[in-house]
Amino acid sequence: MKRAAGRATARAAKPRRAVRPKGDLARRLAALLRLTVEIGAAPDESAICRSVVAGLHEGLGYDFLGLFLVDPATGDRVLKASVGWPDAPENFRLPPGRGLSELPLQNGELHYTPRVARQPRYVPSPNRGSEVDVPIRVDGRTAGVLVVESGTVDAFDQDDFEILTAAANQAGLALARARLLADERRRADEHEALLATMADLSAELELSKLLQATLQRAVTLLGVTGGELAILDDATGELVVVASHRIGKDSTGTRLAPGEGAMGRVAQTREPLIIPKYAEWLGRSGQYADVTVHSVMVAPLLAGQRLVGAIAAVHADPARTFGAADLRLLNMFAPQAAVAIARARLLEAERRRADEQKALLETMADLSGELELSKLLQAMLQRATSLLGVTGGELAIYDEAARELVVVASLNIGIDSAGTRMALGEGAMGRVAQTHEPLIVPSYGAWEGRSAKYTGATDYAVMAAPLLIGSRLVGAMATVHSDPSRRFGADDLRRLNIFAPQAAVAIENARLYTAAQRQQRYFEDLVSNSPVAIVVLDRDHCIVSCNPAFETLFGYAQPEAVGRDLDELISTEATRAEAVGYTQHVLDRGPVHGMGRRRRKDETLVDVEILGVPVVVDGELVGLMGLYHDISELLKARRDAEAANTAKSQFLAHMSHELRTPLNAIIGYSEMVEEEVADVGHPELAPDLQKIRSAGRHLLALINDILDLSKIEAGKLELFVETFDVRDTIRDVSTTIRPLVEKNGNRLEIRCGEGLGAMHSDLIKVRQTLLNLLSNACKFTDHGTVTLTAAREANGDGAAWMVFSVADTGIGMTPEQMAKLFAAFSQADASTARRYGGTGLGLAITRRFCQMMGGDVQVASETGKGSTFTVRLPASLEAAAPTAS
Amino acid sequence: MPKILLVEDNEMNRDMLSRRLERKGFEVAMATDGRQGVEMAQAAPYDLILMDMSLPEVDGWEATRQIRAAPGTKSVPIIALTAHAMAGDREKAIQAGADDYDTKPIELERLLGKIQALLNRNGRG
Repeated sequence: MKRAAGRATARAAKPRRAVRPKGDLARRLAALLRLTVEIGAAPDESAICRSVVAGLHEGLGYDFLGLFLVDPATGDRVLKASVGWPDAPENFRLPPGRGLSELPLQNGELHYTPRVARQPRYVPSPNRGSEVDVPIRVDGRTAGVLVVESGTVDAFDQDDFEILTAAANQAGLALARARLLADERRRADEHEALLATMADLSAELELSKLLQATLQRAVTLLGVTGGELAILDDATGELVVVASHRIGKDSTGTRLAPGEGAMGRVAQTREPLIIPKYAEWLGRSGQYADVTVHSVMVAPLLAGQRLVGAIAAVHADPARTFGAADLRLLNMFAPQAAVAIARARLLEAERRRADEQKALLETMADLSGELELSKLLQAMLQRATSLLGVTGGELAIYDEAARELVVVASLNIGIDSAGTRMALGEGAMGRVAQTHEPLIVPSYGAWEGRSAKYTGATDYAVMAAPLLIGSRLVGAMATVHSDPSRRFGADDLRRLNIFAPQAAVAIENARLYTAAQRQQRYFEDLVSNSPVAIVVLDRDHCIVSCNPAFETLFGYAQPEAVGRDLDELISTEATRAEAVGYTQHVLDRGPVHGMGRRRRKDETLVDVEILGVPVVVDGELVGLMGLYHDISELLKARRDAEAANTAKSQFLAHMSHELRTPLNAIIGYSEMVEEEVADVGHPELAPDLQKIRSAGRHLLALINDILDLSKIEAGKLELFVETFDVRDTIRDVSTTIRPLVEKNGNRLEIRCGEGLGAMHSDLIKVRQTLLNLLSNACKFTDHGTVTLTAAREANGDGAAWMVFSVADTGIGMTPEQMAKLFAAFSQADASTARRYGGTGLGLAITRRFCQMMGGDVQVASETGKGSTFTVRLPASLEAAAPTAS
Repeated sequence: MPKILLVEDNEMNRDMLSRRLERKGFEVAMATDGRQGVEMAQAAPYDLILMDMSLPEVDGWEATRQIRAAPGTKSVPIIALTAHAMAGDREKAIQAGADDYDTKPIELERLLGKIQALLNRNGRG
């Protein structure tokens, strides 16, 4: 049975089965079944195609046949398997418009051509007879063509058509199943690839590497020539190309405005975009005029709702085009990459912050080493410009007195602005100094707030920040981009905000340091110009420095002295122990003040007053300072004076003795004659003799006092310490003084405290002290009361003291009189002596006696009301350290 | 009548004191230096010796020690006459063996009191 198929021809006048073996139907059906089984076992598309062709050839006897599949991208028929076509290699392509095999594609039906030679679209082959083209339908669409040829004209009949149609149907089913499998496998592969990408991405936290890796991964995954990756600059809204791979140029660093080019477009629309022919695309960016790109596929990178960038994949091969599968793949990949990039950016930002902090700390550490203000400022500005990646900048400090900024450092801004003064509010720095807020000026030349002082400067973008400590302004800083393509963004501001407070503190520190240095220089000048020799030692007693006066005094130049042990350098063997003792005392206990003899470099000795003080820095004892004042002259003068005084005292003692001998005779003989005149009957001579005797006794008392005083001063008077009862002594003294008390009609009151006990002191001097004070009291009191009080007291450290006081109700004294009361030969005034008698030496002697016994005498008095003398003496002279010399 | 030996180098003091003591009923012998004083004390018995301390040849302290050291004179009362306020004179006198002391210039009443006290102690006068 033969049937004419299609429009080509219906004629069947041909020898049947001319090109293939004939068999019975059962055999053919069996062969068809075997073919079907073989096809079902085929693992993939190529294997299916090969099985179909082989089964038809071997099982059913067709000798010239081929199987084409349609390339969906191009519409080409691609030869997948063939028999008997030696000139047609695998993957031989037939573009649309050529070959009879295209005909089933157009209507989906089997096409029989009994006489091929007459067909214009026939592609010549050796057979040149008839041809059957059977459509292969996959999922309802014609996806390929089975072509069977014969060298004989009209060689095929209806049986052939049925067999071939059945085979083609089987092939279609198998191919549909295989494609499904392949898709599944490809999905699995893609998933695996994505997982691999993510693993890589999270390992590649360094942003630039991550971006490069992301792009590489996308290029591999999509099987494209190259691509580009851009991230969004939040500050400007621009896309910045950060990775570029084989697009014909290195586009890294390219900035795309919103809407500019393919990536700019998707960043705006947030929708993927395929551009089949980039060169012809109207939306292309001028920045990509020179790329060798044929087709482009671009997708936005979205982390959630947030745009982080865009990715582009390109085919340079005009034969390759982007399809839905590519888009699907890119859509799968893009969000994952976006999230990873966003996360990495965060991490990167954190790391950059940490790096910046570290850099800042290093900056500050470096800068803190540079405490000299001007150098610091220059260094700081340089550091800031490199840290912020800017062209240049300026630094100003705030002059609080003038309420102006003074530019102190200037770098690469087109003019040397150092020294420029700006009012608050003037220019960028003046503005931030006023507002205490940072400021970005995109174009200084066009800015209404610009200062006229900067007209000569290059037109630039400016970012300025105040330098504040707390809310206190210490200065301002400006950084500039002279490159018009560079702008300041949030990141720059953030970095400046980190830098500025540190810079402010550094400036303040430097200011304080400068002030401290000035003060130090001031003190150094003081020390260096001091007439007092000053030496500074470390804790090991070694000389750290000394001043010129020290060099002069001791003859050592500072270089010779430094490092030497001071006490070895300037003390003698005799004074070594004392000198070391002083030094150690200062270090252990504190300041010391003394005198001593020290040795000069030339071995001569010098008497010095020594003052040692510890040097404490920040609570730590670092050494001590020694001050030496040359007192040789002073000591010599003092020794001379002392010698003269001793000579005077000795002279006086001698004179007194020599005077007393004849005086004894005068007094003695006058007394003797006085006794005799009554006996010899001349009582009228007695008053005259009495006057001689009285005058003699006064002279004697005077001489005795002078002798006492001179002996005390000559150091010849000694203490004779014995133990005596205080109450007995009081009684004895009151008996002795009684005649004198009564002479002026006075009354004597004795008040003895409880438990006076015994005193261990010099009885004679205690007696004489009390008698002196009592006789004075009697002398200057008329018809009044003289009160002698005695008490034993314990002072703070437990030592017992005897306190005697003699109070009178007499004439008293003025403060002026009291001031010179205890000086020798000083009664209150000259007339006092005439009126009240006395030598004027009594109180001077009394005070010296008291001092010899470790105590003292004090007076309180009021004119007209009386005086009170209070004597305090140690109850036991050996228990208390005698302070008198 | 108690016999007193007055050892005093100053002629006027010697004359004045001896005359005043004689007027009070004492028999007074006189030596002008320490050596003579010791010799006289050993040559004849005295009820009391008044010894000045600053004497030529042998001073009063040494003379006192010698008199105290000699068996015949060791118990004769001696009053040392010391210069006023000369620190140590008094103590030195007592240490040398004097029984009492008085300071010059002489206050006759005070001296007589001390003389009488020592004579009474020795059962004389």
